[in-house]
Amino acid sequence: MASIRFDNVTKRFVDEKNGGMFTAVHGASFEIKDQEFVVFVGPSGCGKTTSLRMIAGLERQTDGDILIDGRVVNTVHPKDRDIAMVFQDYALYPHMSISDNLSFGLKNMGRPASEIKEKVDYAANVLGLSHLLDRKPKEMSGGQRQRVAVGRAIVRNPKVFLFDEPLSNLDAKLRVQMRIELAQLHKRLGATIVYVTHDQVEAMTLGQRIVVMNQGHIQQIASPRELYRNPANMFVAGFIGSPPMNFFDAVLEGNKLRVGDMLLEIPADRVADYQGYNGKDIILGLRPEDIHDIDFAYNIPTHNQARVQVEVVEHLGAENLVYFRVGERMITAKVAGESSITTGDTPTFVFNMDKMHLFDKTTEQRI
Amino acid sequence: MAEIRTADTQMSTAALQKRESKRTVWRVISYVILSFWVLVTIIPMYWMVVTSFRDIGFSATFTPEWFPSSFSIATYIRFFTKTDAVQWLINSLFVSGVITLSNVLFASLAGYAFAKLRFPGRNMIFWVLLATMMIPAQATLIPIYIMVVNVFNLADTYIAVMLPFLVTVGNIFLMKQYMSTLPSTLIDAARIDGCSEFKIFRKVIMPISKPGVAVLAIFTFVSTWNEFFWPFLVTNSSGMRTIQVGLATFKFAETVDYGGLMAGSVIAALPMIVLFFSLQRYFLQGITIGAVKG
Amino acid sequence: MDKWKQFFRDYGWCYLFIAVPVILFLVFTLYPVLAALVMSFQKYHVLNPKWIGFDNYRMMFQDEVFWKAMWNTFVFTVGTVPLNLFITLGLAILIFPRSTRTQTFFKAAFYLPTVMSGVTLALVWFWIYDPTESGLLNMFLGLFGIENVMWLGKSNSSLFSIMFMTYFINHGAGIILYLAALGGIPKSLYEAADIDHASEWSKFKNITWPLLKPTTLYLLVTSIILSFQVFMSIYLMTQGGPNFATTTIAYLIYEHAFVYYKFGLAAAESFVLGFIIILASIAQFKFMSSDVEY
Repeated sequence: MASIRFDNVTKRFVDEKNGGMFTAVHGASFEIKDQEFVVFVGPSGCGKTTSLRMIAGLERQTDGDILIDGRVVNTVHPKDRDIAMVFQDYALYPHMSISDNLSFGLKNMGRPASEIKEKVDYAANVLGLSHLLDRKPKEMSGGQRQRVAVGRAIVRNPKVFLFDEPLSNLDAKLRVQMRIELAQLHKRLGATIVYVTHDQVEAMTLGQRIVVMNQGHIQQIASPRELYRNPANMFVAGFIGSPPMNFFDAVLEGNKLRVGDMLLEIPADRVADYQGYNGKDIILGLRPEDIHDIDFAYNIPTHNQARVQVEVVEHLGAENLVYFRVGERMITAKVAGESSITTGDTPTFVFNMDKMHLFDKTTEQRI
Repeated sequence: MAEIRTADTQMSTAALQKRESKRTVWRVISYVILSFWVLVTIIPMYWMVVTSFRDIGFSATFTPEWFPSSFSIATYIRFFTKTDAVQWLINSLFVSGVITLSNVLFASLAGYAFAKLRFPGRNMIFWVLLATMMIPAQATLIPIYIMVVNVFNLADTYIAVMLPFLVTVGNIFLMKQYMSTLPSTLIDAARIDGCSEFKIFRKVIMPISKPGVAVLAIFTFVSTWNEFFWPFLVTNSSGMRTIQVGLATFKFAETVDYGGLMAGSVIAALPMIVLFFSLQRYFLQGITIGAVKG
Repeated sequence: MDKWKQFFRDYGWCYLFIAVPVILFLVFTLYPVLAALVMSFQKYHVLNPKWIGFDNYRMMFQDEVFWKAMWNTFVFTVGTVPLNLFITLGLAILIFPRSTRTQTFFKAAFYLPTVMSGVTLALVWFWIYDPTESGLLNMFLGLFGIENVMWLGKSNSSLFSIMFMTYFINHGAGIILYLAALGGIPKSLYEAADIDHASEWSKFKNITWPLLKPTTLYLLVTSIILSFQVFMSIYLMTQGGPNFATTTIAYLIYEHAFVYYKFGLAAAESFVLGFIIILASIAQFKFMSSDVEY
């Protein structure tokens, strides 16, 4: 199978609206290992789809090298890269039946009819499409079309599968189901998969490793667990996790952080790490799930407490989201569904500083 | 909605009735105007057909009839025997057919390239082509005529009649507009599926562009069939004329034969009328493709 | 060298796709425009053209017929374009509230003359204008005791007669475009206006008309361009007469070039015409598009 490598890859476009050049990807370097499931995630316009299209050969990079399986493929035509791609809108040929859609690529490669039939039947079987082979795409539901698009990739038996936001046109329920099927498919095929999405939940559930991008720059490449626990900067910290991480303006005072009129204590074993920032403005990051209603604070240190004025409470059933203000910033706390906090209350919250993240105020990098 | 609104804009029954009768009056007036205008538009054509089936001979004066008192195809026989009308029809059919095919092929290719392919100079070339639509035919006509007739020595040939119309900028623009609406991912998918660029065009783009191509073909065929000036300039012998040119020359040769003229007019118009009624949907929808839209 | 090879591999197809239209553009548009420009400074002869500077232009501007043709073209444009646009819009607005089937009927009826050739229409109307009572118009007016009129044969009525004809034959495409544009106006705008108790006129002035502006602009530009070039109906119905009463610029160019073979003079005239058309188009875009909202 295949590995993929980017060596300092840059892509610039002519900006048709404003004139001049627009840089979609800035000197990206990374390696995707054989059989790995890697997800590119980021807000729209971050360069993730452009990166995927460069792997496919649908866009040519302006600078740098792209290697598939150790071979430089900079000018290699898409059809010669041994890749298959699933598009956001599925891109099924509307004038062809499903079986023609599935076999079109193989026919172009001049494979014998018996082999084509065998592969189409196999893919149709795997995806439960066997009874639909004579239909046209417009006679099928969104979920079925999605399967055909995946099937078209499977029949090619490629080294690399590329997925460009394949689930974004499905409704929420179907999306969860397809997500599970894709994970199973990856196991069964044992192929390298590169998957692009703007949905961090999809990224966290599917990816073995995740590439977080923003404005053409790679922010961090790490496993889902690592991204959640040790985000490299404020962008990643804010992007991964739902609701997003809270940020507080803070000043480091010895082993304490001054946040507004609160004083929060830093865990003793980490105080030494931050001595260089003593007396300086920094940013404290704390996830909503690490701010607890004191009545439900089990198994965590409870010495960092504060009373706040609650502005809004949203009831989600299993949990409640409580909004309050610290300084200018709106803070979210995710508390247990049984919590009785309501709008206008002034309850006491426990801040679990074992889970704190500290960021440099100017570089926004983790410290 | 209705219940809610009546609450604050309470209208008396009288006012409502007044409004309703005002609406009815307006409706009647609008139908009267429309019917009148349709009649005036259609009557000349009706009259053309009715008169073509009357044998009025060569009398310069006669009374127009609304309902034909007699039926005769003598005028048609006269028109066909006196002229090369059969040959004119064949010429028109051939010329319009070739020009239509050529426009379908080349306008689609170019429209596709301008809509979906990226290459240096694309926008500049397209805008230069588009700007030439502003240049009136008269400004280029004389040099083209001299080039075709005197330099290439093509007077009185099919090639001369067809050459300037093989692909028009208007058609390229129409196809570009149409093809811009096709999803680009289909082209990407075809590339990954191993199609050459031409194969993408042939196997993916053309099959899904059928509605646009149909519109282009119909409008090109009709406008070529009806074209008068250019074929009139470059044809000399009767055997090379198109039906429109032939009909015009017949008018000057036989000024008093109104019956023959009307028969000829019917013959020239009939194929287009049949085409229009059988493909009405494409005609009526097709006009809006390409024209305005931002 | 390698770079060129790569460039060809990447973009060769694209240029091949647009090759035919570009070549035709070079041969049948760019070259003729330049050639016409050169020609307008020559006493033209195929083998031996002679450079005569501005003589053609001088001759043209001193020619009374040229100014008469300018005036006729101007009158024709002013007398047909705005009124026809008004009629087209009026008919479209009357048709729009009707059911889909009624709409289709009127669309088809008004579009029918458009698929018939200019030759056919000119011949039919030529007969409608027949100076004796065999002509439909004279017969009709005869019912009211009005004497026969030589519609096309007298210099004070011939140009008007040709203009009058256009009021009944040119609305099909415009009506369809306007109907499409009317269908594109969100209903909620009218509902909001209803809630504000807006009158029908105020709704038209403040909603319909501004939102139809792109369509109006498109129709205005295309119909002005066409009306500047009016030729065929004049050629077939009056031959520019009587006494140059219907000689338009386009007809004059035709006569000078292809009847008298004064190619240089005709080229100069066609340049002036082209220049006026382009100026008029630009002026309209400037004037109208300043407040077009999309």
